[in-house]
Amino acid sequence: MTAMKLVAVSAGLGKPSSTRLLADRLSEATRKQLEPDQPVETRVIELRDLARDIANNMVTGFPSPALSEAIEAVTGADGVIAVTPIFTASYSGLFKSFFDVIDHTALAGKPVLVGATGGTARHSLALEHALRPMFAYLRAVVAPTAVYAASEDWGTGTGSQGDDLATRVTRAGGELAGLMRHGRTTGGVAEAVPFEERLAALRL
Amino acid sequence: MMQFGIFTVGDVTTDPTTGRTPTEHERIKATVEIALKAEEVGLDVFATGEHHNPPFVPSSPTTLLGYVAARTERLILSTATTLITTNDPVKIAEDFATLQHLADGRVDLMLGRGNTGPVYPWFGKDIRQGIPLAIENYALLHQLWREDVVDWQGRFRTPLQSFTATPRPLDGVPPFVWHGSIRSPEIAEQAAYYGDGFFANNIFWPADHFQRLIELYRERFAHYGHGTPEQAIVGLGGQVFMRRNSQDAVREFRPYFDNAPVYGHGPSLEEFTEQTPLTVGSPQEVIDRTLTFRETFGDYQRQLFLMDHAGLPLKTVLEQLDILGEEVVPVLRREFAAGRPPEVPDGPTHAALVAAAQEPAPTR
Repeated sequence: MTAMKLVAVSAGLGKPSSTRLLADRLSEATRKQLEPDQPVETRVIELRDLARDIANNMVTGFPSPALSEAIEAVTGADGVIAVTPIFTASYSGLFKSFFDVIDHTALAGKPVLVGATGGTARHSLALEHALRPMFAYLRAVVAPTAVYAASEDWGTGTGSQGDDLATRVTRAGGELAGLMRHGRTTGGVAEAVPFEERLAALRL
Repeated sequence: MMQFGIFTVGDVTTDPTTGRTPTEHERIKATVEIALKAEEVGLDVFATGEHHNPPFVPSSPTTLLGYVAARTERLILSTATTLITTNDPVKIAEDFATLQHLADGRVDLMLGRGNTGPVYPWFGKDIRQGIPLAIENYALLHQLWREDVVDWQGRFRTPLQSFTATPRPLDGVPPFVWHGSIRSPEIAEQAAYYGDGFFANNIFWPADHFQRLIELYRERFAHYGHGTPEQAIVGLGGQVFMRRNSQDAVREFRPYFDNAPVYGHGPSLEEFTEQTPLTVGSPQEVIDRTLTFRETFGDYQRQLFLMDHAGLPLKTVLEQLDILGEEVVPVLRREFAAGRPPEVPDGPTHAALVAAAQEPAPTR
């Protein structure tokens, strides 16, 4: 069986960053729930390494070779994990800019799991009011569980309520794995329309 | 024979090395000098853009080209581009047919949609209808130049009944038309359908992007029965800055690059020259780079260079044209001619179109 491609996009700025850590954990949780019957290739794209390339793409309108390769990895993946720090009540500018330079139809039907990190849990709904609508616009299929990790979550063990970070990561990974198994439903690519049809559409 | 020339955007840009901004009057007069220089140094084509917003001056291309026509003998006068979306096709038919008569046939034109949203409503149009406007308006223009009396009804302009566009094209042969596009396969399809030329501006973006469009155009040109894919009429842009020593060229051009309106304040000059067809260096480097276009796009008919933007002073532009005409283009003519298959067509001229019109029509 050919391996499924799982690509995590991390907009964390530190090295190491808690955003990258969350991306890794979500990626691992998803992989575990696909394997062993379904082999998985995982990859993490750190947007920090592409920060200049992303800004240059905004200015010139085309991606550098490195950015182009990263965009192809994301658009060609069977599942995408997208994780950002919450800055000023929303996703970071770098995170948004990366998705801004991708063609707006390229993620249609793509299984996506969203995650975010922040200093306090008070910003956790940014996942629901910022990330989820953005991916809805892109017509991606977003897993129901979005995972927010606040500073306090990293020091909290498994709780009795079943709402600790580890439990949420596992649940979200299971949901993404399920969407990936279900298979990608593509939006379809436009074929070249014969010119006679275009003239006919204008009744010429 | 391949044709070589220059195209201008007509931007009024502050020279970043002096802080001086030319007046519109200076820029328009400089454009004329640049066109005259193109003929003087042996180039074949001068093409002007069309813009209707500052900081650009060329809002009236046929006025400019008519003036240049009167002061030149051989130069082909063209556009890059003429807005097929917002101009009335009737007026395009009349303006360019008039220019054709004045210039004794030394005229062709390149059609484009224009990508500046606000321009459309200034002319009563809607950018969301860009492709349908380009298709309908050209269908009308094509008919106006080929049929003496036209009845017409479309979606975008008032109907015409028993209308004759005057003057009729010189020798009954319409100006050659190129269709320019930077991203739309629909326009490559349109060029192929009519057997017209296709022009890829080939600046600002990586070559592989334009390669896909040109391959589509060549394939569809053959599909519509105009010849083999290799016989399709392809034009390319290019952008160069030269000095005898490569390092001098880089040093002198860098401030213009860094502050250029289109790509300034983005990638470095080195990154941009690596990723796009821009070449900054010695005449030999420009020759070598330009010859690679044939490997990427196949044998083609017309090469236009962008030489006068980003605030470069007139004196510098004229020096660049001297180098282009004296050292670069003669070598390119020789090298491109070598190994060019005999079935590949020459760059289009009025005389060749007149001769072709007198032959029996090929079967379609």
